Amino acid sequence: MFALAVKNILFYKSRSITTFVLIFISTFFFIVYVALMDGAHSAILQNALKVYTGAIEIYKKGYREKGGNEYLIRDVKKIEDVLQNIKGINSYSARYESYGLLAYKDYSSGVMMVGIDPQKESRNSSLKEALSAGEYLSEQPNNCLYMGSNLAKRLHLQLHEETSFIGSASDDSFVAEIFKLCGEFTTGDYEFDSSAAFANRRYLDGVMLSENMASYIAIRVDKLSEVEMIQKEIEQKIESDKYEVVSWKTLMKSMVEAMKVDSIFGYISISLFFVVIFFVIMIFGFINVSARLHEFGVLRSIGLSRAEIRALLFWEIFILASSAVVLATPLGAYVAYYYSVHPIVIEGISQTYKEYGIVSDTINFSFNTFTIFWNVGVIYLLSFLSIVYPVHYVNKFTPLEAARHV
Amino acid sequence: MIKLENVEKYFYKGLEKEVHALKNINLEIKKGEYAVLSGPSGCGKTTLLNAIGVLDTIDSGKIYLDGREISALNEETKTRLRLEEIGFVFQAYNLVPVLTVAENIGFIMQLRAFSQEAIKERVHELAALLQIESKLNAMPATLSGGEQQRVAVARAVASKPKIVLADEPTANLDSKNSKALMDMMQKLNEKEGVSILFASHDAYVLESAKRVIELYDGAIVAS
Amino acid sequence: MYRLLLKLSFKNAFARLSRTLLVIVMIAVSMSMMLSIEGLYDGMTNSMVDRVKRSDCGEVSMYSKNYRTSRALKDNIANAQSIAQTLEKKKGVKSVVLRLQADGLGSTARKSAFSTIIGINLVAEEKFGGFSEFLKKGSMDISKNGVLVGSELAKKLKLKVSDKLVFSTQNLQGEITGMALRVRGIIQTNNVVLDRAALYVDTKRLHKLLGLSAQSATQIALRLEDEHLIELLKKRYADLDVKSLLELYPMIQQMQELMKIFNAITFFIVMLVVFIGIMGVMYVSILERIREFGIMRSIGMSYALLRRQIFAEALFVGLSGYVIGALIGYVVLYYLKVYGLDLSAFAEGLESFGYSSILHASIELHYFSATFLAIVAASLLSVVLPLRKIKHMSIVDATKVVI
Repeated sequence: MFALAVKNILFYKSRSITTFVLIFISTFFFIVYVALMDGAHSAILQNALKVYTGAIEIYKKGYREKGGNEYLIRDVKKIEDVLQNIKGINSYSARYESYGLLAYKDYSSGVMMVGIDPQKESRNSSLKEALSAGEYLSEQPNNCLYMGSNLAKRLHLQLHEETSFIGSASDDSFVAEIFKLCGEFTTGDYEFDSSAAFANRRYLDGVMLSENMASYIAIRVDKLSEVEMIQKEIEQKIESDKYEVVSWKTLMKSMVEAMKVDSIFGYISISLFFVVIFFVIMIFGFINVSARLHEFGVLRSIGLSRAEIRALLFWEIFILASSAVVLATPLGAYVAYYYSVHPIVIEGISQTYKEYGIVSDTINFSFNTFTIFWNVGVIYLLSFLSIVYPVHYVNKFTPLEAARHV
Repeated sequence: MIKLENVEKYFYKGLEKEVHALKNINLEIKKGEYAVLSGPSGCGKTTLLNAIGVLDTIDSGKIYLDGREISALNEETKTRLRLEEIGFVFQAYNLVPVLTVAENIGFIMQLRAFSQEAIKERVHELAALLQIESKLNAMPATLSGGEQQRVAVARAVASKPKIVLADEPTANLDSKNSKALMDMMQKLNEKEGVSILFASHDAYVLESAKRVIELYDGAIVAS
Repeated sequence: MYRLLLKLSFKNAFARLSRTLLVIVMIAVSMSMMLSIEGLYDGMTNSMVDRVKRSDCGEVSMYSKNYRTSRALKDNIANAQSIAQTLEKKKGVKSVVLRLQADGLGSTARKSAFSTIIGINLVAEEKFGGFSEFLKKGSMDISKNGVLVGSELAKKLKLKVSDKLVFSTQNLQGEITGMALRVRGIIQTNNVVLDRAALYVDTKRLHKLLGLSAQSATQIALRLEDEHLIELLKKRYADLDVKSLLELYPMIQQMQELMKIFNAITFFIVMLVVFIGIMGVMYVSILERIREFGIMRSIGMSYALLRRQIFAEALFVGLSGYVIGALIGYVVLYYLKVYGLDLSAFAEGLESFGYSSILHASIELHYFSATFLAIVAASLLSVVLPLRKIKHMSIVDATKVVI
């Protein structure tokens, strides 16, 4: 049957070429499209993650739901000692977050004032790399502020100028302090750059009475794929009745969900192409098969069974699909690989979509062999499905009916 | 009515496989004549019939229909000629499979924009003559070979052409149907006065013809 | 004669029923899917545009020259009331609202967040954009110390209806001031900028808090019947910053353009493949009947008539698929327009990006008209190649063809 299938493929050139080309285009397009979609989503999430959110964050239970000073972590050192010994953790940073008002001359704005250990934070997030003017915070406890560039713009604040802050301390008492703008950062996350300001932890602890306290501890891991494992380990080693350990998937739930929806729509759109292509492959297959009905009638008359006819037709589509897939897959995979290493840059896209948390102008492709394999699997499945009706049609006839068919 | 003067026809002219299909053909077919072109396979019967029916071109010589030269006309005029003045019956697959028998018979009249009443009347007249009245609403695939050929003949004469050219019309029929077909064609020739020229080597066709034109190797050897 | 031709075309088109039905099903299914996707995507974009218009800028908004960059109260439109009164009488203007806006800090006992307080007139907002439709929870009540909170801001501050919050900001004189507010309602506009930061209060109260004259506003937003008025307004109010919706939200323009490009590419590819499908079937159908065509030409049917018959056949197939596809597509679109696609399972994600969790489709005439033209074109073009084959074949050879 295999040899006969090959001969049939070579003889019925137009059907073979059309089917081959359609499967080739579908495979290539599917691999590249999914690589683009997955890559873009992953890049959006990872870039947003890099900015500030930790891969894992530790909160006192109740802080995320209710917030407020009573849900602060009050023994940061104890937790940090545990984290130090967990494999896979790259770095961690205890952050004290407080909200208040910054004012400068006629201008004011709400601010998320955060006390950080500059050195630890520089390993933990891309805050230091996001420096766009002035200097990053030093290890010296002083009243320097490292502020989001949009916030500085809003306040009309220039470098080295002073601004007043009012808020509340860890014991709910009123706090007022003068800070100096020493540096500005631009992460690309519009909301973050418009509302966040960082100060040296030790200096801010004095203002906020927050020694050994933190709103939460942000953790960076070596490999994102190990997040769940590390999360479990942390939960086992700290007082899990007191603290909750949350991964980025929960912290960035809305973004993750939005990417899922985008994927769904992406698949719906691409399925339209596949439906059309599937039908065309089926139609060409059907035409080819019905044109050979007489031939099949003769074959059945001389002793071939229905199962053998079925096998013949499946061999034909298998050979056509395989030859198309074998050529298209490396090509598609190469494109996916190339653009995963050399992402496409669309200037201005992050500025346009800043409200949506798009922080980078680059669009990465994702190169994942498992994904490529299941893409190819779908194409094979569609190819085989396309021949089901033609096979059913041809096997419907008795040998004599088929042999007499005009 | 049909006159051929020094007609020559080659296939693959100038090439090594050149075939001299028609050699200096001179022939006249009179109005109302019932004749057959006979000869062995490959002698040029079909080629001569196709040339007379302006289905195919000739390389030299002239063909006249009612005194008009028809061998050098353009394609559009030839098509009109075949529509209005020449009828054809082929060996097989004559009929339009998706039309009924009545629609097939009236096909040429429809193309010539005859009125529906005229078409209906003529169809019934011919169907009665050719004994296929009961099959008028049937589809061609349900008819026997003989019945199909009768329908083809009816269509060929429906719009009253000057001449009907029939190429091996009995080749796919058994002797009974061949005889029946020939009898009907004779009846048509007598009743309608339409000239009929066959190409055939069927013995019964040769017997029924009033004139036999013998061809051998592309030339007329007897008439 | 033409009736015969049409009859021939129709009968030949459906002579090989399975094959023809396959093509019709292909056209119908792909067309209805394409229309549904197009309608859904357009619906999403249109819904976003509509909500932005209704919740914020209308077709056009006016600000004082520096306001959009400075966001400072001193950059207000001092005579906003009189401008609004003039504009309300202008032909082509459906409604006008004045808004006063200030950035500051919204705080509860436990949390604070950057907020934008917006002073509104509920009656005017209702006329402007059906403001009450944005209410997610609670009631539309901003009397006394009532506030309506943007849904994402409410989530951030963990606010429920009846909760208290304090808003602090600087007034026109630069003094820190604030107001205590009681949450009366949660608003979801699906305008991400507003949902994440907006606190809606009574405009009179806000004017008093900020020390601004009741005549002034930071924004004049207009709903227009005729978008050509925008240019006129720009000229008339050259001393103000007059901006259309697309100028204020360039992202929307980009999205619309991206959507158009995407729909066009989808349309082209689907129609191309449909064309290939019809061509395949017609090609084979014609090749099978070459002998029949040869005989018809022999008996006097001109090539022109034959060509018309074959075109008509292709059209029958294409248009049958179109009619069924259009019917299915319309039914699906109608359902999606009225009931929408429920993606509540992804509500959090969608809402955070400014999309409703129930997506409604649009139905536009051009979906159907463009597809009609494309299918007619595809059907006619699909028989060009086979027709060329017949035209160049000699009649004699055609009658001898053995299939």
